Order: sequence, then structure tokens, then C-alpha cells
Amino acid sequence: MPRLGLGDLIGAGPRAVSRYTGTLLTVFVTQSIIAAGCMIAVALVLAQAFSHLPMFDEAVDGDLVALVYCLRYGKPSLVATGGIVFGAIVLWQLASWFLVGGLNGVLAQRPEGRGETARCFGASGATTYLTYARLAMCSLPGWVVVLFVFGTCTTLVSNRITYALTIPELLGPLVIAALPALLLLHFLWTVSDYARAELTLRHDTHDPGVVATYLRTLAYVIRRPVTLVHGALGWLVFALVTAAYAYLAQGHPMYGAEGAVTLFVARQGVSLLRMATRVGILAGQIELGRTRPLPPRRVEIKVDPKS
Amino acid sequence: MPKIDGSPALRGGGAARSPRIANYKIEARLDPVRHQITASEILTWTNAGQSEVDTLPFHLYLNGFKNDQSLFMRSSHGVAREAHATDTGWGYVQIESVHVAGVDLTAKLHPLASAAPDETVVELPLGQPLAPGATVEVAFKFTAQLPEVFARTGYKGDFHMIGQWFPKIGVRVGPPGAERWECQPFHINTEFFADFGTYDVALTVPNTYTVAATGVLTNAVDAGRGIRTLTYHAEDVHDFAWMADPFMEVMSGQAKLVDEGTVEVRVYYRAEQREFARRHLEAAIGTIEKFSAMFVPYPWPIMSVIDPPVDAVAGAGGMEYPTLVTTAGDSVFARPGVRLPEYVTVHEVGHNWFQGLLASNEAEEAWLDEGVNEWADARVMAELYGQRTSMLDWGGWQAELGALRRAVDGGTGDSPSPIATAAYAFVDSTAYGEETYVATMRALQTLERAVGSQRFAAAMKTYAKTFAFHHPTGRDLFATLGSELGQDLTWFFGPVFHEVGGLALKLRHADCKPAHAPRGVFGDGSARKTVTELEAPDSGTWACEVVVQNTGPIHVPVDLELKFADGSSQRLRWDDRGTSTWERFAIERSSRIVEVWLDPENKIALDNPILHHYRLDGEGAAALRTGAWFGSFAQTLMQIVGP
Repeated sequence: MPRLGLGDLIGAGPRAVSRYTGTLLTVFVTQSIIAAGCMIAVALVLAQAFSHLPMFDEAVDGDLVALVYCLRYGKPSLVATGGIVFGAIVLWQLASWFLVGGLNGVLAQRPEGRGETARCFGASGATTYLTYARLAMCSLPGWVVVLFVFGTCTTLVSNRITYALTIPELLGPLVIAALPALLLLHFLWTVSDYARAELTLRHDTHDPGVVATYLRTLAYVIRRPVTLVHGALGWLVFALVTAAYAYLAQGHPMYGAEGAVTLFVARQGVSLLRMATRVGILAGQIELGRTRPLPPRRVEIKVDPKS
Repeated sequence: MPKIDGSPALRGGGAARSPRIANYKIEARLDPVRHQITASEILTWTNAGQSEVDTLPFHLYLNGFKNDQSLFMRSSHGVAREAHATDTGWGYVQIESVHVAGVDLTAKLHPLASAAPDETVVELPLGQPLAPGATVEVAFKFTAQLPEVFARTGYKGDFHMIGQWFPKIGVRVGPPGAERWECQPFHINTEFFADFGTYDVALTVPNTYTVAATGVLTNAVDAGRGIRTLTYHAEDVHDFAWMADPFMEVMSGQAKLVDEGTVEVRVYYRAEQREFARRHLEAAIGTIEKFSAMFVPYPWPIMSVIDPPVDAVAGAGGMEYPTLVTTAGDSVFARPGVRLPEYVTVHEVGHNWFQGLLASNEAEEAWLDEGVNEWADARVMAELYGQRTSMLDWGGWQAELGALRRAVDGGTGDSPSPIATAAYAFVDSTAYGEETYVATMRALQTLERAVGSQRFAAAMKTYAKTFAFHHPTGRDLFATLGSELGQDLTWFFGPVFHEVGGLALKLRHADCKPAHAPRGVFGDGSARKTVTELEAPDSGTWACEVVVQNTGPIHVPVDLELKFADGSSQRLRWDDRGTSTWERFAIERSSRIVEVWLDPENKIALDNPILHHYRLDGEGAAALRTGAWFGSFAQTLMQIVGP
């Protein structure tokens, strides 16, 4: 198998997005439906508490004093809002195991035509759902390590953060506090992505075990730093798109119904761009995953009860 | 060697402005390695009352840091604001000897028995009673061990902020002929109360140390062996504090007063805080100029502002002494426009009027200094930095100081103690802070808006001028305001300052029904008649009813604004003076009410305004916009955890 470089991985992204745009949109629409549900639920909770209180309108329009009053008055509503957002993310996480499984399956098997693509998506998503769930459990110790690293690094520089008087004085310790944990997080996320790719690619032929795949992938990612660089590029694009939107949106509060529609369209556009980036990264990961050494085949030993 | 201050201790010199009852001569030597001061003190005290005195009580405030059995440590649990006491940084005052008229009375000095095990008040029985008008001279030799700073006074590394460090005599209070001593043990919530006098203090420090102190520098001598002696003189002050640090730089400016005098303002700061020193200097200059115009001209020639090092500010920052204050607020987040550094400086310098000049009893009536100062600070910050932007003007966010303070500090009526509670009698420091600072500010703002800002400001100016250097009480303030405003304000002062519960104003009910002539059965017997809808149709107008309630103990007149569906509005007034807890308004108009706004001009600072403005028909647009924001935020998080 030819050894793939960074350019090959990056090139796989636009090809996959243009070839499987429908699949991308399916995943995106699912996500948007969950986000819309979150939006409606939050709007209902806040309307219940504030629809009769014009001070809330002032707060939403940027009056800081009004905002503080509303935050104090509406604590239960805020807690409920936080719960709704959290619930939406958990729901998405559960749904994403199916959706990512389906995406990976389509990217791996390269079906032709809408019908075939849809069958492939559904079958792959269903087949790998529990496998991906087990993989998520397997990854949990890693997240604990990330939290530990973050906590330790933050404690080491907490005095410097507290006493910082200028932005350079603050940035240094913040980087020290966050960077090790972020790098570790990126590493673990990349491992999870490639483990998922491996489980999808080899599911029918080798039926690899989840823990074994995770550990083999750990070693693989360390040996092939291009995996980390490729993933990091994806996050960089993600961050740039988000930052660009935040910068352009500054000073454009979008009042009224017309503003709300414009805002909705703009935000969905940004989300779609970010999702396309992620799908492009997944495509590169699948391509690289194809070139990995094959895992050991799981052999079933049948024992004859009569012998 | 620092330059001698050429000015007299009082601006323009001249006669005493205060009854100089307690006059101190102190010689002190700082050991910066052991953080210890060895000193001798001569107090000349005059019995200005009309009764004899046979015992002299003294504050030994530093004994509050001696062990965890002191009242200060027990009431604070070792925490003041956000600074913590350390296990190794204890402080105390050790009296080596005390002589009165040459007689050694050291053995007779004893801690106040009723306060045991606390040792922050000691009593010295006199050999002979001191007659009214007589003067006594008390000579102390003492050692002051500074604590590691967590509550105003102490050291952090090389930085020394030295306040409440010498034996300080109590104050005689009460009606003539029946005076008693006011000399309370040191509690977390009590600040400081003392008589006016003169201070002559010689400070011996290493010659690498920069010193700032109360008063003016009158002499500086190089004593050889790497030490120098600096002598300070202050007049008509009731305290002496000082700072010593080897790394401080100084930035100076001048405040110009209405009487054409000037005040030298100096900010002491470490090099890394230079950016903030300029902000503190401008704030201090502005405060002196504005407060001098609003109340009485600042009488001293100098103001020193200490900006403590960042690792000491939690303990030493934000405190006032005559002609010297410590500030705070320096932070990477206090960008220009986020005016926390300015606010702290304005607040602490402002104290030089209410604590420095008027010098009310902080233990019994802390609100008379802290809360009145908060009210004045909001006015001065608005004059210096703009009405809408006095506290915040950054990144498109704006906020006025008073409004933001009220919003952040929560609603009235949450505390179980009224404003006029002795500082040591509050249930906890939170209640002390809420009532003494913000609730008092709210009360004064409410009264100010009710009577008119100019009239109220004039009345407060009269209060300050009348009682400067005379230890006023709350009663003096209420009497002055009542007299200057020309009305009996007991209906306001009583509940606001002496009752718990605040003001609980809200709209109880508002609705409109189509108006029509009376319907139903009328008359009896043969004259009985039934009037139906056909005979008495809707007249085309609306019969509306609005019920407003106030279930708190504080009652103030309330304006109401009603908005109608046709765009018109109507003003009403509930002249609530406490005789009723609700009021009903009946209105007939051509269109129905859509909004009710209690106190539309926001005169009532004493209540949480969120429920004052009410829409009868719910409007969900703002909720939908907020929901859209949260939905978008959730979608961003979803894309981070999964594709």
C-alpha cells in the first residue's frame, strides 16, 4: 500500500464532501434538528419566566444592569436552560455514534447512487453503534487523565494568573495551564477517530475487539504523527471559521424578525462549513486507515460438547 | 533622602479645626526582617467631658491577630474579604511599660475582663480621677509585631502596611455629665473610632525603604548604618498609618480646590503597576476636587494613595486613614473603561470626608460612613466618568456605578438586620456589607430622587459643614435632612433604617373589560326589570382595574405609568406613606391597558425593579432570540464532541 502523506489526507476531504454531499446534509440536518429543539425548549422556558417582563428585552438588547437583574431573578430558568443544552449535547453524542458509523461506512465502502449510499449508511451505522459506544467507554480513562493534567497545570500557575496585570502576563500562564491538556485531548481524540475508522473498515473481515483496537491505534498514532497534524489542521479551520463569524457578527445585533432570520441563516451556514470540515477530516482518516497493517483476525473456537 | 513637605499640616495653616483631645508623640523603629516595630509613645489626653475619669481604656488592635481566640479571629474565622490568615503570621502588641505622670502603672494595666479571652482592649486605672477639663500624659513603651497581612495591617514580603499599630485611647461619648467610654473590642465588622488631635511621629527605617504616612514630612535625617529617621506631623486627625516598602515608586499630581487651594496627591506603586498608578492618581485628584465642592474643602495639604503589591492587595487594599488610603482593583481584566481601580480609589479617598472629617462611630453606626460614602461615590463617579458609563465603558458594555452595585448586590429585605444595626451585631459579614453599604446607598438615593437631587445635595452639604470634626450620629443626619428639606421625614427614616424587610412593590393585578351600562335584574314586584346585553350593549370603551401592592415595611410614594393599546399613556400616583399595603385604581379609556410600569423614572432604589415593569400580554421575541443563541451555542459544542 502506498504511504499517504498530509497532502493526500487533505485532498481526500473535498472529494468526499462533493461526492457524498447528501450524506453530509443528512447528518447536518439531524444535528440542526436537535439544535432547533434546544432553541425552542430554551425559548419556552425563558418565555415562561420573562415574557411579561420588559426588562428581559433590555437585557437581551445588551443592557448589562438589566442582564444582572434577570440572571438573579431567573436562576431556576437559567439552570433549566443549562440542563436543556446539556441534554441536547448528550442526545447528539448518542446519535452521533450511529451517524459517524454511517459516515465512516459510506467513506470506507464508497457506494454509488443515492439508494446504495443510504443502505450503506444505515447498515454501517447500525452495525457499529454498540461498538462505538464501547469505544467511548474505553476512552473515558483518557478524559480523566486530561482533567488531571489540566488541574495540575492550572494549580502550578494559578498565582501567576491571579496576579497578572497585563495581557502578556496572563497569556503565558494560560498557555501553560491549558496547552498540555489540549494537546493530550487532541491526541486522544485522534486516537478515537482512527479507532472508529479501524472498527468500521475491519468490522466484517476481522471483527476486531474494541480495547485491542484502541490500544493498537494509540501506538499507530504515535508512530504516524501525520495523523495528529491532519487532525489539528481540521481544528484550526474550525476555530478560524468560528472566529471569523464572531468578528463579522460584532456590532450587528440583528434586531427584529428579519434580523432573527438573517442570524439563523448565517449561523447555520457557519455550522455547515464546520461540519463539512469535519467530514473532510474523517475522509482523510478513512483513507489513511485503509493503509494500516491489518489487525489479528479473531478466531472462534467451537467446542463439540459430545467430545 | 525624601524631600521635606514645605506645607503646614493644615492647608493654609491656621487655628485648630477640631477639639484636639488625643495628641500623640511616637518614636518608632521598624525591623523589616522580623516585621516588628519597637516604639515609645506619649499620649496627652484631655477630659473634655463634664464627669470625672478614673480609668483609661486603650485599643490594642494588633492583639486581634494574636491567636485564634481573639474576637476578631473568632468573628472572621480567619478570613477578611478574600484574604486568609496564615498559621505563622500572627501579630500582637506587647506593652513593655506604661507611666502616668512619671508613675509606673505597668502592673495595673489589664485586658478588659468582660471581653476575655480577647485582648484588644486594655484598661489603665488612674491613681487619681481626672477632673473635667484636666489633661493627663501617658507614656508607653511597646513592641508591635505585625501579622502577615490579611485584614488591613501587616506585611507581605518586604511590603509593610502599618495601621492600628499603637495603643490608642477610646472616646468619651454620651450626654454631658454622664459620659461613658466607647472602646469596643476589635470585631471583623467594626472599624475605627477615635478623637481628633495632633500626631508627631518619628519613623526609623532602613534607608532603602520608601515611606508614606499620615500628615506632612517635617524632617528627614540620615542616622547612619543604613537607616534614616523621618518625622511626620499631622493636625486634626484621629489616626496615624504608614507604609514602608523598598520597591515603591511615586507619581504625583495636584488637586485644585474651590477655595483656590491645592492638594498634593501622591500614588505609591511598584513598577509593574505603573499603568494603574496613573488611573489611581486621576481618580484621587478628581475625588478630592469633587468631594471638596460637594461637602467641605479637604483641609489637609496632602493625600497619599498606596497601591499595594498584587500579592498583598487582598489583605492590605481598600482601606482609609486620614490623608492616606490603600487602593485596589489592579488586574489584567481592569482594562481602561472597566473602572474598578478608579472606583476603589474614589471610595477610599471619599472616606476622608465621612470617616476622616466627620468621624462618626464606626462600631455603632458604620452605615453613616460606609453607606453615605457609597451614595457620594456614585455621584462623583458619574461626574468624573459620565452618568451612563461611570463604572463600565468597554467592549460596547456600559453601566452606571449605583445601578450596577444595586443589581449585583441583590434585593433589599434579604438581610435579617436593618441598616441601623451596630456593626458587631450583624448576623454575618454578608449582612453587614449588604446593609451598611448598598442598602444605605439605596435609601439615600430613593430619598434624593423623591425630594430632588439639588435640594438633597445641598442638605448633605449642610450636614457635612455642621458636623465636620464633631462625630455626628445618625440622628444628627436625619435631623439635618428633615430641617434642610423642610419636611418631617420620620415616615421614611424609621422603617428604612430601623426595620427589616425592605420594600416589596409589585403589580398585583391589572385587567380591562369592555364597559357597558348596568345589566341584570333591577327593581322589585311590578317594577322589576331585566336589562340584557341587547339593552345595555358594550359602550366601546374599556373599564380597567389596576391593583398595586407593597407588602414590605418600607413605604414610599409610587408613580405609575399605564400604556394603552392605542399608544397613549396615563400617569397615576399612589401616595403611599405606610397607611395601606395596596391601592386600587379604576380607569375607563377607549383602549385597553397593555403595560403597567411602577416607578417609571426609577426613583425607588430601595427595591428590585425587575417586577416593576409588566406587560399584560406576553411577548416572546426576546426569549426566542435568546433560545436561538443557546441553540447555536449547543450546536457548536455538538460539533466539538462529534461531527
